[in-house]
Amino acid sequence: MFWSAMALGETRASFLPEVAEQLFRDIQKSQEETSQIPDDLLIALKFVFGPCALQALDLVDQRSVTRLSSPSGRKAFQVMGGSGRLYTCFVSCHYCPCPAFAYTVLRRNEGPLCKHILAVYLCQAIGVTQQESVSDEQMSTLLSGTTVS
Amino acid sequence: MSSRKRRRHYKDIKCVFFPDEVENKFQKVNREPPSLSSVSSAKSWERCGDSFVDSPGIKSIKSSGRKLSAIRNLALSALESADHSNEDPVNIAWSSSDSEQSDDDTRQRHASRVVAQQQQQQRPQRPGRPTAPIQSYTTALRMLSTDKEELPVIDTDSDLDGSEEGFVIDSGQQISECESESLDGKQDLPLQLTNERGLEISGSGSDVVNDGHVMTSSTLDSECFPLQTGEGSKRSVSDWVRSAQAMLQTPQKPLDRQSKTPEDSAKKRRRFQSGGLAERLNRLQRRQRSAVSFWRHQSISDTSITATADKPGVLVLEVLEVQEECSMQLAHCEHHGPPGEGHRHNNPVSEKRARMLVLFNRETASQLIPAPGDIIHIYPPWQSLSIEGFSCDIILNTHFSQKVYSASKAANMFIPRGLLSAQRCSPYSLCKTFGLLEVCRTTEENSAKQTTVSGALCSFGGSGVLTRRCLSLLEAIEGLGQAGCVGQDVEVVVQRVYSIPVPDCSPMTILKPRVPSRSSSAPPAEKGKTRLCVLVQDSYGMFSAVQLHLLPCKDDLHEYCRMWQGRTCVLRDIKVVQRVTRERRTRLFSLIDSLWPPVMPLQDHGNTPSVSSESRPAGPAPSFCYLLSGQESSVEHADGQTLSPLYLPPTKLSLRDILQSDVKTCRCSFVATVIHKRIIQSSDVGQGEVWLVLTDPSLQEEQPERPCRRTVALCVNTSCVLTSSVLEALNSPAVCRMSFRDSIKEHGVLLCVEQSVVEMCSVDSGGRLESTTSGSESLSHSLCEPQAKTLSQPVRLDPLSPEITPNCLCSLTGVIVGVDENTAYSWPACNHCGSDNLEVLAERPEHFHCVSCKSVVDKPDTKIQLEVFLSSSLSNCTLKVKLQQKTIMSILNTAALEGDEFPGYDVENVLGKEVGPLAVYVRVVTRKPSLCMGLEEICL
Repeated sequence: MFWSAMALGETRASFLPEVAEQLFRDIQKSQEETSQIPDDLLIALKFVFGPCALQALDLVDQRSVTRLSSPSGRKAFQVMGGSGRLYTCFVSCHYCPCPAFAYTVLRRNEGPLCKHILAVYLCQAIGVTQQESVSDEQMSTLLSGTTVS
Repeated sequence: MSSRKRRRHYKDIKCVFFPDEVENKFQKVNREPPSLSSVSSAKSWERCGDSFVDSPGIKSIKSSGRKLSAIRNLALSALESADHSNEDPVNIAWSSSDSEQSDDDTRQRHASRVVAQQQQQQRPQRPGRPTAPIQSYTTALRMLSTDKEELPVIDTDSDLDGSEEGFVIDSGQQISECESESLDGKQDLPLQLTNERGLEISGSGSDVVNDGHVMTSSTLDSECFPLQTGEGSKRSVSDWVRSAQAMLQTPQKPLDRQSKTPEDSAKKRRRFQSGGLAERLNRLQRRQRSAVSFWRHQSISDTSITATADKPGVLVLEVLEVQEECSMQLAHCEHHGPPGEGHRHNNPVSEKRARMLVLFNRETASQLIPAPGDIIHIYPPWQSLSIEGFSCDIILNTHFSQKVYSASKAANMFIPRGLLSAQRCSPYSLCKTFGLLEVCRTTEENSAKQTTVSGALCSFGGSGVLTRRCLSLLEAIEGLGQAGCVGQDVEVVVQRVYSIPVPDCSPMTILKPRVPSRSSSAPPAEKGKTRLCVLVQDSYGMFSAVQLHLLPCKDDLHEYCRMWQGRTCVLRDIKVVQRVTRERRTRLFSLIDSLWPPVMPLQDHGNTPSVSSESRPAGPAPSFCYLLSGQESSVEHADGQTLSPLYLPPTKLSLRDILQSDVKTCRCSFVATVIHKRIIQSSDVGQGEVWLVLTDPSLQEEQPERPCRRTVALCVNTSCVLTSSVLEALNSPAVCRMSFRDSIKEHGVLLCVEQSVVEMCSVDSGGRLESTTSGSESLSHSLCEPQAKTLSQPVRLDPLSPEITPNCLCSLTGVIVGVDENTAYSWPACNHCGSDNLEVLAERPEHFHCVSCKSVVDKPDTKIQLEVFLSSSLSNCTLKVKLQQKTIMSILNTAALEGDEFPGYDVENVLGKEVGPLAVYVRVVTRKPSLCMGLEEICL
């Protein structure tokens, strides 16, 4: 499908997300089958995400990602940064309030993700996301971004 | 300024500058014109030797001093055009002090000045970025990392100028500290320029692989020289600047930056959680980084890179199109066959080539500058990722990439940078999430989906970075980690287990074994140690000989044979000792040849992992292999007890088949009866060569159609280790049966050498053989059982023939034509024990005392040595035979009957007597000037 898009001279397909997605799938698979992640997946992760990968893995090691769900069925991820600050990331799209996301991803388009979102993916793939229920009120506050906890 | 900042500042000053010059120094840096400053700094660095003596961080005072001054100088030259950026040069100066490479500093100076001036001319908008003074990787790297720091985020605090030098040094210090301290300190100083730089530098220094520094520096490096020497490089200055800009134009560490935002770094830990993923990646990264920089260093110094492209795993790609995405470059490539077949320009009609997508990270891309039409080599290790829904693989981890053909250069085109640059692709939609987010780990669902995704990521080659089990010895070895260690586990088949003798610790004991002081100091157990070895083969057909631990007992060999031979094992923690070629190790390769071609199709070291499952017919046997070393734990069973399908057990042949085969030199295995043993050079079997005369039923039976020798000689070389049971058998006069594995047939003689294994065949249990050679038991049984029954007694020997070679047995009948009187003598021997160690009893001179059996010998036997010349059916041949006692007595007794004098013998009486048939051992054969043989009668 990629090649056909190229041949038609359409807008260039963004391709990195596919790589990222496949890597996450591989990680998940490896975790499920062998309960570990081989070194070459880590290396590949590093290659694709750059230094972000190391930091995200550190966040994974720290179990910094929590999946919040509210009675209304809304969900969101909360990532505790290295400083202890919480970043709320969304389920339906890539967004993180951290400066790196604003700069690297949004402004300069130099990386597909920030470390927090990457950590969310990795935690999901490895299955170490913490689960937490919050009230609808809390959830709406979080999602509207009015607080920074 | 924070207290921490100050502390470090102080420390740095203490080590870098001599205390009395600190202030002075700063002023010089800021104010003085370069020439003066170079003089003064040189002077001060001369003096600095003294003050650095106690500074532990600096090892080579002189060289670092020289470099520093040189670099400082360049820095200053750059400074002339710089207003507030004097921190950069000093950074460079500091960082270069720990650079490994010592360069000519005048060259540096020159180069840097040139570049600095160009900088001024070409890039007036960036006055404060000295890009040129590149002496080494490290300096270049670090300098570039300072240069890249042009992020709009940073705002320069001008009132910090007064103390800037301190910060500069501070950042330098951080650079040299690599990753350790670099990331803290930031927290207290939000967005302060110099500090920011320090942090960035160190951050990028710690992350060489991922940022462009190594690459860019090397490019710069190579391009500096044309500039300074004025050689006929076609690259113009603007060209150079263009490429420099290409490297410098983008901020290099955007992803890293995020972690350094003030709020984020407050809790910055240097240590990752022990045993965590981050720690593991960090370690892998470090190893990869050193591998990459080493490779880069090599590839720069190596001008004939293309010659190495025929290694397995090298991807040869032609770039079709390049696009840039998230600071990475994605090249659409066409996969070419191995290089050498000519690229597309000479060979337009070629078979359909596989398409590939290759991802280059920013620094690789900035070095390669891939453009359509280029030919690029990607060396292993790389990884290939197959993505669902994509028809072609994506190649990742392309750190070891090299452009071998540039389309634009070949066409002599000057393509402006803008055209070369890859087309940037629009950012992906943030709404396009990568799966997994919605899923709340419903495992069943996942696993059902995952079954289709099997192992999308394949790694090709390992640089010691990847520790996943590898199937190829070559890959594992060629991607060595540090210190010659093979970091990967390699799955191999143990084809042979054998042992080799280890030279004695003290060579003196070999040379003078009889010196009492020596022999007492060196216990006899010390000599004759043996080392266990295995010959392994991977599924690609490659062999390696692995030397393992010393065997506590030689007989343990059989245990290891049983355990390992024929099994699939994993090699780990092995080191490469040597790469050997067929020419250098003919013996080893004769063994390898005997295992070639493999019994099953091999895997191919194809150029794409996608075809790696295909097999090919085995080509010629490998022409080289690696000698490896390891410990006992280096070999471990991979799976089960079944023999590997790749295992080729030694095929036991009959001696007749071996002797009649047309192959001149080969390895062969067989079971044979040892009918005669002769130890050369040493009294102790196992020390010297042993010559054995062998036969088996196939040689003894009636041979109506194709006559063959009845016996064959085999030499057990000293390099072949004999187990104690074999030694025992060889030292006893009894006939014994042995199995010989992988002995060499060479010029009609059989040899047991390094890789040969000799074992006893026990015939006691009804002819049932006990061979420890696993996997070949059925074979040896079928051959040995009839043998044991049908070996006729007495053994038939060949009649003496002119073609006979030494160390053979033959039967001889002839007439005595002469006696060698010089060698004929007689002596008394004990009639009880046969010992000739007799003493004359003082009281009874006609009697002896036997020292051996401590008895009085009143009637000593008379032993006679007699060598006679025989004439036989063989004409024109002088045969001198040393006779056995029994034959001598029979000759002499008949002679004695005729003469009545005893003990005198008359030669005349012996002459003309017919002897034989005798079993004789051929000691010497000389063919010139006339055929002459030295024989020795033996008892069978």
